[in-house]
Amino acid sequence: MASIDIKSVRKNYGHFPVLHGVDLTIRDGEFIVLVGPSGCGKSTLLRMIAGLEEVTSGEIRIAGNRVNELAPKDRDIAMVFQSYALYPHMSVADNMSYSLKLRKTAKEKIASAVGNAASKLGLDPLLERRPKALSGGQRQRVAMGRAIVRQPKAFLFDEPLSNLDARLREQMRAEIKKLHADLKATSIYVTHDQIEAMTLADRIVAMHGGIVQQVGSPLELYDRPANLFVAGFIGSPGMNFLEGRYRLSGDHADVELVDGTLIPIAPRPSLEPGGRVTLGIRPEHVVMGGTAGMEASVDLVEPTGFGIILHLSLHDLPFKVFTLDRDALKAGPKVRVEFPGKHLHLFDEAGNRVE
Amino acid sequence: MYISALPREERQDRRPLLKRIAHAAEPYLYSAPALVLIAAVMLVPLIVGISYAFRDIQLLNPFSGGFVGLEHFRTLANDQAFYRALRNTLWWTGTSVFLQFALGLILALLLDKPFYGRGLAQALVFLPWAVPTFLAGLNWAWLFNPVIGPIPHWLHALGIMSEPHNILADPQLAMWGPIIANVWWGIPFFAITLLAALQAIPRDLYEAASIDGAGPVQRFMSITLPFLAPTIAITILLRTVWISNFADLIIVMTNGGPADRTQIVASYIFTQAFKRLDFGYASAIALVLLVLLLAYSMLIVLLRQTLLNKD
Repeated sequence: MASIDIKSVRKNYGHFPVLHGVDLTIRDGEFIVLVGPSGCGKSTLLRMIAGLEEVTSGEIRIAGNRVNELAPKDRDIAMVFQSYALYPHMSVADNMSYSLKLRKTAKEKIASAVGNAASKLGLDPLLERRPKALSGGQRQRVAMGRAIVRQPKAFLFDEPLSNLDARLREQMRAEIKKLHADLKATSIYVTHDQIEAMTLADRIVAMHGGIVQQVGSPLELYDRPANLFVAGFIGSPGMNFLEGRYRLSGDHADVELVDGTLIPIAPRPSLEPGGRVTLGIRPEHVVMGGTAGMEASVDLVEPTGFGIILHLSLHDLPFKVFTLDRDALKAGPKVRVEFPGKHLHLFDEAGNRVE
Repeated sequence: MYISALPREERQDRRPLLKRIAHAAEPYLYSAPALVLIAAVMLVPLIVGISYAFRDIQLLNPFSGGFVGLEHFRTLANDQAFYRALRNTLWWTGTSVFLQFALGLILALLLDKPFYGRGLAQALVFLPWAVPTFLAGLNWAWLFNPVIGPIPHWLHALGIMSEPHNILADPQLAMWGPIIANVWWGIPFFAITLLAALQAIPRDLYEAASIDGAGPVQRFMSITLPFLAPTIAITILLRTVWISNFADLIIVMTNGGPADRTQIVASYIFTQAFKRLDFGYASAIALVLLVLLLAYSMLIVLLRQTLLNKD
């Protein structure tokens, strides 16, 4: 197990930059999730840590040693691929023991390491099978098994659950979490699925456009998103945004929306009165059914079983509400929505959070 | 309205006889054109050719044509020229296939790596395959000829040859002439097929292996080779059969000489049929070659099946 330090790491493909200076310190035993939309550079960063991509500039250290120039095999890391990348002509046992055999480990040691990993992952009855005789979930387990037999310094996961169906993904997510609690291995996990990010991570690294947007615990990102990107990316359904202007009258502050509605907020001394701001509120925090608040028309009602998502038009802009109240299914063409002040997020003109 | 309560088969029997026959013959009629065509162009010549092997057919002898039974095969059993041709065929086929395969694989591995100008290199590498074999044979014959070709002079300059002479005229070395021409001409076939197979190997397997600790040689042995094995088996089978039947280059470059040192079975058949005009004897040799190649093909097909069934 080891810590990983990433210092102003950049990556260009030709003249095209994909990572603009990433700084990140991963503590020993920490589970870090890199999350972001496609093309944000999260996989590139992971592959650079693995040694599969060259580092254009900056420095990566694993357990204090600079690894920029080291080949993947000398970095002592294990990686789980999205496609599993199992060796199709080898049995499950051979797949898992390949790395140990290459390191000339003693036969008894290999057998016990493979046996331990197999029983941990429930692969005992499958050891003699070939990957093509396995289901997607079983292949995923073999890929994990191949990673854990070696007891490497760190585990890297590249969207390992993307090829599984929803039910299996949920199950494997829980197993990965259990496995991490058990092994306490430093792990870096790349995903575009924010549920995986929220449930698995000790800390989430939200990335966008090759830049780290925010690093923090899952609830920190959910409760106090650093900017509009993180606010919109974390949470499902996504946060609602309303544009307006910051108004200050005495010790009382409001956001004036485009139609002139005033939404009272706590004063933000750092903001200039009259400046453009964006107000954010999560669909689950909107209060419906009162007599106060703004009127919105109902476009669509989506029951999810657990709750109900209402797609509304507020000032002709899409607006979503999530509620557990089944009466919402019978909502008329118009509803009134209110925004409780403690759940409002405020972002300045540049899109950064203002406290 | 009449509704039948009888089982379906019995109801069908109520249709007129002609209609039932037409119904039964339908699939055969649909496939008939293809079957007739295959029989006409493949089976008939094959059977006629095989029948020649048991008849005395000499174009220059108007009284020939009679059935001679196994006479040709008895002659063949004592024909020293045939045995030498058989040994030459093994040497010619084995060396050509091995060199074509080895160099083709190296070429495919090189072309699989990205480099500047790869598209152009790929196009150029595949060019020899497009050259007609007779042209290739003439070209190489000239290259080996010290009067007009540079190769003997280069070999002399390098000190490999004591004086620039034509290797095609040297009984010890003559076979190398057609073999070199054949290797040059046949490398693209292996390069194309092996490159296609190489490019079908998922890249992340190599990445997984390099993280697992495999160096380039281990990655080649444990990923590339197992993935290529079925393709290698089938291409080697095809090329072996082709090359052992492939007399064009030899006919053009050495015509079997000097002193029959480059005579292979296929060129021996050609000589018997079109130089001595003894079609009966030529057919008998051809039949023996056919049986040998069939046996070889069965062996490779069985080998490939066991390789594939192991998975």
